[in-house]
Amino acid sequence: MNLNDKVLAIMSEVFGLEEVSTDVSQKNCERWDSLRHLTLASELEDAFDIELEPEEIAVMTDFSRVIEMLNSKLN
Amino acid sequence: MDMTTFIFRNQTVEPFFGDVGVTYSGYGDISQLPADVDRYIWCYQVPINADNRQLAQEILSYRDKLDLLLANIDPHKPLIVFSLVNFFPLRLTGDEVSVDQAVMEFNRHAAAIAAKNPHVKWVDFSEFTSRYDLDSLINWKYYLMSQTLLNPKLAHDFKAWWSGVERELTLQRKKCLVLDLDNTLWGGVLGEDGIDGIKLGGDYPGNAFSYWQKALLQLAHHGVILAVCSKNNEADVQEAWDKNPFMALKREHFSSLRINWQDKATNIRDIAEELNIGLDSMVFIDDNPAERELVKQMLPQVEVPDFPEKPYLILPFFKSLVERYFRIYAVTDEDRLKTQQYRANALRRSQQARFADLDSYLKSLSMELEIIPADEYNLPRIAQMTQKTNQFNLTTRRYTEADVQQRIDEGWRVYCMSVKDRFGESGITGTIFFEPLDWDKMGIDSLLLSCRILGKGLEDAFVGTLFNQLRRDGVRRIVADYIPTAKNGQTADFYDRMGMTCISVNEDGTKHYELALEEPIEIKDYYNIRML
Repeated sequence: MNLNDKVLAIMSEVFGLEEVSTDVSQKNCERWDSLRHLTLASELEDAFDIELEPEEIAVMTDFSRVIEMLNSKLN
Repeated sequence: MDMTTFIFRNQTVEPFFGDVGVTYSGYGDISQLPADVDRYIWCYQVPINADNRQLAQEILSYRDKLDLLLANIDPHKPLIVFSLVNFFPLRLTGDEVSVDQAVMEFNRHAAAIAAKNPHVKWVDFSEFTSRYDLDSLINWKYYLMSQTLLNPKLAHDFKAWWSGVERELTLQRKKCLVLDLDNTLWGGVLGEDGIDGIKLGGDYPGNAFSYWQKALLQLAHHGVILAVCSKNNEADVQEAWDKNPFMALKREHFSSLRINWQDKATNIRDIAEELNIGLDSMVFIDDNPAERELVKQMLPQVEVPDFPEKPYLILPFFKSLVERYFRIYAVTDEDRLKTQQYRANALRRSQQARFADLDSYLKSLSMELEIIPADEYNLPRIAQMTQKTNQFNLTTRRYTEADVQQRIDEGWRVYCMSVKDRFGESGITGTIFFEPLDWDKMGIDSLLLSCRILGKGLEDAFVGTLFNQLRRDGVRRIVADYIPTAKNGQTADFYDRMGMTCISVNEDGTKHYELALEEPIEIKDYYNIRML
């Protein structure tokens, strides 16, 4: 499973949605609220064995920014 | 499962209970008692507060809140009460025990309520939290970002534990424990090893079986019926009971015996008939998986837990047995008397802190409100609240700081509210935007309150005070909208409560309101309000 698919799977689990696409953002997804945002961060931390700082969590507001953040953490 | 649940909480617990069929109170809010749910859960946590005296008082107030809740909810619906666990004991001196005592008092009180009220169930939360060390119970990052005190990383574990507890809660208490003998009540086989050869008492593994027998004896003392179902010679067993000095469980402790070579399903059915109890009130314990399987197949109503293969695991097995099947929150008369005395003392000690209804409770909080016009210091917080607040938010319009500043420059009147009560300060937790529409007419563009302060009627005081202020400034007409979202259902009738008239409703559910500001609005005198 590549990074995109893995993140999408986590997002659909956290948001409780059947399907999530790569253009998902906090703006266009009602289920991506502030609480689920933190659940998402926590799940990503566990799945990729990383620590995200509050400032980093705050800027992960859409799919591409999440991927960007993960890439910077994983490389 | 289609059961719906309403959870009373004082911290964020959504990561643990989820959002399927579950709705939540505001933080510490007991004023909303939705009737259209199947059950209620009370899951409070000990808040973080370095002032131990204040914290102890707050914890004691939970006890009073719980009483108030109990008096107001439908007794036909279950109320599940979590015990309190202090995740962050902070003792500034070594002998500081006020918080521990308050936690104990709450837990004692909750357990006593559960013993007296069949619809109330008490859940010992420490059964879950004691699996972890204190450091891993709180994740400070997530606590400070979202007021989630219990570490969200434990959500998966919590869900597994909780679904087990839920199953137990619906289980009927069992009446009878049917026990095998060889390798179950003692180690070894009586027919082969002899009375002195079986392992009971002394060193391992005999000590494990000895403990197990004594524990079962306690269960019998608490009213659980014990029975024997064993493939053995009854005379041999009787001799062992008579002669083995370590035998804690003897003939007289068993209400029914089936010691023979018949199949165990038939024997258990006989025991049920003899004792005149249902098969569904029986639990069968046997070390032999084949026997267990037979009983499971033949008598599916009988509970058949797996017996541990290692004797040293019998002790935790006994605990799980009690928790799953036999725990009864019955209180003896003596206990009840003790509880009463304890309650009377507690009552005298904290007379000033008790209240009979919601109004006197609110009065006891000594609430102070400051209503502050938007300025450079509070503007970032106001904008942030419009971004984050979902539940008590009438229009859910999101603004940046620049947006808010621009509107103020255009003549809008933007206020925020800062709140304090005897348990501490909540800071800026509400805001309202008035847009001038005519020389004597204002529209409420936005109105929102942080959910951590809900349930104290602060919204009424906040809005009422500002209406009165506008009235003094010559405003005579107010218009406002309620725009429904998935989250803000609780505000659907807020403007009705404020005495406004709903003049039209759009197809999307948006309601338009109007109010003529003729008379000043009365505001409860227990709010100490300052307009800055």
